[in-house]
Amino acid sequence: MSYAAGIPVAERAITVVLLGNPNTGKSTLFSAMAGIPTRVGNYPGVTVEEKLGRMAYRGHSIQLIDLPGTYSLAPKSPDEQVAVNVLRGQMPGVPAPQCVVVVADATNLERNLYLTSQTLELGIPTVIALTLCDVADEKGTAIDIQKLSERLGCAVVRVVASRREGIDLLCDEILAATGVPQPRPVGLDASLTAATATHSPAASEAIARYQWIENVLEGIVQRNPPAIRSLNDSIDAVVTHRVWGTLLFAATMLAMFSSIFWLATPLMDIISRGIDALAAGAEGLLPPGAIRSLVVNGVIAGVGGVVVFVPQIAMLFFFIAVLEGCGYLSRAAFLMDRLLVGVGLSGKSFIPLLSSFACAIPGIMAARTIENPRDRLLTILVAPLMSCSARLPVYLLLCGAFVPNVPVGTPWLRLPAVVLACMYAVGVVVAAAVAFVLKSTFFRGPPEPFVMELPGWRWPRWRVVLQRVRESVWSFLQNAGTLIVAVSIVVWALASYPHNAEVIHAEVQAQRQSLTDQLASLDSTPADAMPAERRELAADITEQLAFLDTEVGLAAAHRGAAQRQSFLGQGGRFIEPLVKPLGWDWRIGCAALASFPAREVVLGTLGVIYNLGEIDPGEAEDASALVRRLRSATWDGTTRKVFTLPVALSLMVFFALCAQCASTLVVIGKETHSWVWPVVAFAYMTVLAWLGACATYQLGTWILS
Amino acid sequence: MVSLQQNTSLPFRLCPEVSLRDVAVGSTARVADVTGSDLTSMRLLEMGLTPGVNVKVVGAAFLGGPLELELRGYRLSIRRSEAARVTMAR
Repeated sequence: MSYAAGIPVAERAITVVLLGNPNTGKSTLFSAMAGIPTRVGNYPGVTVEEKLGRMAYRGHSIQLIDLPGTYSLAPKSPDEQVAVNVLRGQMPGVPAPQCVVVVADATNLERNLYLTSQTLELGIPTVIALTLCDVADEKGTAIDIQKLSERLGCAVVRVVASRREGIDLLCDEILAATGVPQPRPVGLDASLTAATATHSPAASEAIARYQWIENVLEGIVQRNPPAIRSLNDSIDAVVTHRVWGTLLFAATMLAMFSSIFWLATPLMDIISRGIDALAAGAEGLLPPGAIRSLVVNGVIAGVGGVVVFVPQIAMLFFFIAVLEGCGYLSRAAFLMDRLLVGVGLSGKSFIPLLSSFACAIPGIMAARTIENPRDRLLTILVAPLMSCSARLPVYLLLCGAFVPNVPVGTPWLRLPAVVLACMYAVGVVVAAAVAFVLKSTFFRGPPEPFVMELPGWRWPRWRVVLQRVRESVWSFLQNAGTLIVAVSIVVWALASYPHNAEVIHAEVQAQRQSLTDQLASLDSTPADAMPAERRELAADITEQLAFLDTEVGLAAAHRGAAQRQSFLGQGGRFIEPLVKPLGWDWRIGCAALASFPAREVVLGTLGVIYNLGEIDPGEAEDASALVRRLRSATWDGTTRKVFTLPVALSLMVFFALCAQCASTLVVIGKETHSWVWPVVAFAYMTVLAWLGACATYQLGTWILS
Repeated sequence: MVSLQQNTSLPFRLCPEVSLRDVAVGSTARVADVTGSDLTSMRLLEMGLTPGVNVKVVGAAFLGGPLELELRGYRLSIRRSEAARVTMAR
């Protein structure tokens, strides 16, 4: 035990590895034994997740290593390679295991014993944890555990992890097995020799192992009575039926999606209102100045920006856990595989991508259900391209304000609605193209088999469902939440500094002067000779001047000037040459930069930049004020309007494709345990967004001229 | 025991080997062999599609999607392209 050198004897932990097929309740067993993992990360060099936990039992310290779910120990995928290396003690930084717990599904023993037979050959002390025994009982499957244990040559423990049944017995067996050499499985060598003589080398191993398994299970498993079996069959007949199955699937997905979209909204409103109240309270308590601004606009806004995602995450994982628990999740992947295989994904990407239409954060977290690391990463990278609910207000405001409300073909279909639908389509089409390109370039490799178990129908275990929800919310708050708050504070600082009161005051004065001058030059021409357009301009300038004279208007002008002076504002001016081809002036560029923490703030930022102060685009009055101000905005020093139809379209396309959402990038980083992937996602999405917006503006201008 | 969706009208000599892909939904057939020795074939064997095992095709997803199989007391889903590698006993 060289790894333990330097650690006091009393603290030496027994290293125990959990190994098992996917969907055997391995994670539930891990939680039942060790609770929340002490460490979650990636094994060096691969995107295979490493999960460690610790537990104390009868004075012994046990270190648990949860290996990724695998069907076999013949290394073919990164997951299996990691499993083999850890078991052999060849994984750097991971101590060699003293005991292996093979988690085997009692409802599907025959297939689960395949991995068991490979594990027993390694000679590491082995204990079998027979999970899902409650489900097996319901189905009427009886297993002679005593006999099974004798024939396998290792302890077999009946476990119901969701009710913590059998955990102590399992720990006793682990302690008893540790240090005792594992005998080779009886009869396996004979089977292997016999099969090699008659079959190809590729097939012989599998044939031999299944032959051995059939011998082991002879007379041990009493199969379920036909009545229950036929119920399972009739459910499957409907659910995977070409017509009914597809309809049921569409209905289920619609129900799930609309719940995330609509049911979470009132909860999110309550959280937003609570955060607003907290901000108002802090504003009342603290004196005006940098500290108040930091607390209100940095910390409280940042925390609010984290907590607001919780209802969606909790709801999505509730649905996923229920669907997984009753066996529908893999049927959904089964039904959707055909649609996604064409672009290089698999059916398992469907739910993560669908949920990304509500919000990419729960969607990216839902990609945990994809076992294949390559497919999972690809799904995570394209999920933010789905138009999430944060983009909707941007689309709605711009479509309503700048897209002419004319019928398209039929009187019921109006152009703004068509443009809105196009924005959603842009995301989907680009995601498909990106997935296809990535799959045929950087993610190239032998095709991954879509060989997936379809578990039997059963009632979801509510404890497991609630645990899943709690774990997902907790891991989001703990891992991503803290970082999102930190990013919000950094962006607050960039938008607030440098803060020079004199410069700001001077800018506001200069602005007032420029407006007065403009009005004077318009007034010098006789009123009746003024064309309508100029009269409108004059009325507009008068309105802006009147607003400047009010207390609110003056404060808003100061706020706007402060933002334009800040690092962020300077950044906006700096990138002006970059955003000019998109038809944007520096103010829009600045708003796009400032919306980095979250897309939905772009409207609020535009409000601040255009001297409207802090507005709430959700309020009809504020939104119409913003629309009026945007419509009247002109390029600096000219009367040329900034917001035309091509500009509005280019802005929408940009927001459809860009990665302006710090929370999403943080979650990508946390889910992939790497800082490479959020950078990749940000880079490729920003480039695509720029190209898309540029093409839209240039094409739009060319068509309209 | 094997019922075919296609190929039944072809003369025997021209009839290609029957694969799991050709087995009609609802019927059962016995695996003869899994062709190929790559990752996918290995996986199919490991999942229990070994020569001699009886497989029932329980269902098929729409638009030519994957097949749902029953074998060794559990349900398995594989793509049609993968099913084509599994030849069935006639």
